[in-house]
Amino acid sequence: MRIGRYELTLQPRPERPGVHSALTAIPAILLALALSSLLFLPADTGFLSAYRAVFSYAFANPHGLQATLYRAIFLWLCTFAFLVPLRAGLWNIGLPGQVYAGALAAFAVPYALRVNELPAPPLPAGLVILLMVLGATIAGAALAGLAGVLRAKLHVNEILVTMMLNSILFWLVAYMIKEGGPFMSLTGEGESFNLPPPLYAPLLRDVPFTALLALAAAGLLDFLFAKTTLGYRIRVFGLNPAAARYAGINPVALSLLVFLLGGAFAGLAGYHYFAAVPGVYKIPGNYGYYGDLAFYGIICALIARGSAVGSVPIALLFAGLSLGARFAQGQFHLPFGVDYALLGLLMMAFVASHFLYQFRVVWRAVAVEAVPHVPTRIPER
Amino acid sequence: MQGLLFLSPYTLARGGELSTLTDLSFANRGRGEPLLAARGVTKRFPGVLALDRVDLDVEEGEIHAVLGQNGAGKTTLMNILFGLLQPDEGQLYVRGQRVHFRSPHDALAMGISMVHQTRKLVPAHTVLENILLGHPGTRGFLNLRAIRREVEELCSRYGFTVDLGAKVWQLSEGEKQWVEILKALYGGAKVLILDEPTSVLTPPEVKTLMASLQALVQDQGVTVILVTHKLPIVTAISHTVTVLRSGTVVARLRNSEATEQVLVQHMIGQDIALSMADLPVEKGRPLLRVEGLSAYNDKGVLSLRGVSFSLREGEILGIAGVTGNGQEELAQVLAGLRPPASGKVLFDGRDVTWLPPLDRWRRGIGYVPAERYEVASVAALTLVENTALNFHFDPLFSRRGLFNHPGLEQVTRHILLSYKVKAPHPYAQARHLSGGNLQKLILGRVLSRKPRLLIAHLPTQGLDVEATAFLRGKLLEAKAEGAAVLLISEDLDEILSLSDWVAPIYEGRFAAILPREEADAETVGAMMAGLYRKEARVP
Repeated sequence: MRIGRYELTLQPRPERPGVHSALTAIPAILLALALSSLLFLPADTGFLSAYRAVFSYAFANPHGLQATLYRAIFLWLCTFAFLVPLRAGLWNIGLPGQVYAGALAAFAVPYALRVNELPAPPLPAGLVILLMVLGATIAGAALAGLAGVLRAKLHVNEILVTMMLNSILFWLVAYMIKEGGPFMSLTGEGESFNLPPPLYAPLLRDVPFTALLALAAAGLLDFLFAKTTLGYRIRVFGLNPAAARYAGINPVALSLLVFLLGGAFAGLAGYHYFAAVPGVYKIPGNYGYYGDLAFYGIICALIARGSAVGSVPIALLFAGLSLGARFAQGQFHLPFGVDYALLGLLMMAFVASHFLYQFRVVWRAVAVEAVPHVPTRIPER
Repeated sequence: MQGLLFLSPYTLARGGELSTLTDLSFANRGRGEPLLAARGVTKRFPGVLALDRVDLDVEEGEIHAVLGQNGAGKTTLMNILFGLLQPDEGQLYVRGQRVHFRSPHDALAMGISMVHQTRKLVPAHTVLENILLGHPGTRGFLNLRAIRREVEELCSRYGFTVDLGAKVWQLSEGEKQWVEILKALYGGAKVLILDEPTSVLTPPEVKTLMASLQALVQDQGVTVILVTHKLPIVTAISHTVTVLRSGTVVARLRNSEATEQVLVQHMIGQDIALSMADLPVEKGRPLLRVEGLSAYNDKGVLSLRGVSFSLREGEILGIAGVTGNGQEELAQVLAGLRPPASGKVLFDGRDVTWLPPLDRWRRGIGYVPAERYEVASVAALTLVENTALNFHFDPLFSRRGLFNHPGLEQVTRHILLSYKVKAPHPYAQARHLSGGNLQKLILGRVLSRKPRLLIAHLPTQGLDVEATAFLRGKLLEAKAEGAAVLLISEDLDEILSLSDWVAPIYEGRFAAILPREEADAETVGAMMAGLYRKEARVP
């Protein structure tokens, strides 16, 4: 861009420490909030009080904070499910499908044990819960692993496979829980049976234990990529598959492994939302909403640039804003979709800040002048 | 015939007289303002001063060679002239007018075009489609027939013979380069920047290129900036030479002053021995035995067709051939990266034909692939992490699944030091290394494993004199320490100066396996070209 005798240019910026790029999140968030104040124009109130409502519901209201945490745990697990294959250069777009697979497997355990029909549970509740968690992770891993095998062995595009599996699993859930399905609730309201109270996931200060699993996983994943041989191999494979093969890294085993690991997280996310969040304990009729929510894991992983720990605050923010905006929408009679718009703006601001961060803006004078007479130097020989 | 050149705004500015252009080409050289000038151009990259107050004067109608070693800043300077990079300091002038190239678009508008070292063509498209791609005259609808006529006219004027209907992937490297030059000329280029144009060409193709460039300059008034580190080309066709060393201009010479010796001194800053001492080695025991090995290439064509040889410890077998005669497939099959179609590989008495790559590394087979950037390194990783490519499976550096980072750093530092790799620090990204320094690092990594067999594919391709001499010396050291070396090269001098046995390869077969004493340049060169073939002998 040129203004008068001055020119505005973008120049590549030398590399900076990771902390700097993490700090770009702050202007990005402020920018997104500034832009989304336009969304609150039709509100009955000013945008400042609208924001206060969004944030105070999401992070200060005890009820809202709980909901934010439940949702954040779900997003963390979905983020890791996307992040692990991403580090190997593979795109796991099958988060909803793997979430559904995890949920179905979790509910298959009490169904198979017929806990709702027998007067007393056949196994100790703790053991059943453990089986549910294991079942969910194995189911998610197996579903994702299918995409991994096809990718590694036959070079089938993993994006297409995981996307199509999403659809298949969506309708499989419908078949299982809707009228006539095996998991149908007793009253037949298009949702699954309720878990009996002994099988409710253990809570720590009203938060399901899955929170601990997710936070521990975040630390372990970053450790895996930074310090271990396996993490190194995954990164090399993701950055340059030809170099990985040259270095003797087995592409088939690695593709399968990252999908198994990613799918396990998504399956656990399915267990979390439908079998561990207080007040749910069933697969509700609107399960598709939670499946769609899983896609935010992709955004969080990309914004965090593959860092699991870095994605923790981002997913928390996304969880809080999606709930807070939905709450404000009801309170101030805002049009439908304000929450989605807010998340969308946030996403764009993050992406733009990442891009612009790589450059610095430089003003320089544009001079129009003739060649000065500079004889070219010819050194003595 | 003149219609085409008028497309160029540059020609228009000159009044559109084609004949004047031709007259000017020689007569005007050396007086008046330079056609293209750089003054005090400085460019910094993280941790590197790539160009330091560089002045360059390119006169109209000359072939101006820019000579320098890898990392001297040649490509950076050219990228600035072409608008791909902006200088941190300094100015550019076209005919004395200060210009700002914010992008290549601005440079192209001034008639400056660049043919890069790597091809920028769409392989699946035809030659014609590639030529018109991005041309300012093509908007909305294409009149392919009219364009074809124009391009054909251009071809006949410049004496090019290229099948315009052929798909680009079917062409040889030399032909692809013609397509790029043609594309530049069709786009109205009056100044052609050629970045290392000969690095992928066969010797006859180089000759054709040199003759055609001279014709372009003499008959069409095109100005050529030739970036290279090959001395014979500079002395043969350039009118003026600017020599860069470590980002500064160290000499600017007329062709008459520029002998190879003078140029080498300027380039390197000292005299180096271009010939190498032959280290005497005792013949070791047989290590590698290859029997009737065949393999398909990526297009499914049987391009390695039954190769047999054996190799002893402390021996170098030089496989001489023009790229595309099965050498790459041979190297990959031996490294375990490509399945053989038939045949057998015995290493140290064991059948390793189907062994996966990792087990080969463990057993002491080291591989230096031809593709430094695409295969042998990861640009976004640090040098330490790149070193780990050859060590991640080694129990010394990976204990219970955990990386031994300090150990890897130590190895990397050692390689940087003993292989004279110019790098800011071991944690710099590999992308910041020039080709020569990267190749030193790669060979250093592989040789640090003390491999019993080394497969070195084009180990010095595109490197400057100093790096080439250094790496060849390291290959001889490895041999002296008892490694068997399979040297695959296009450079006949390299093969003849290093090898104990020479095997010219043509269309997937060895024409012969000659002991070094019987291999003279003429015989081997003829065999490489498929002119005749002796019965292959197994040494």
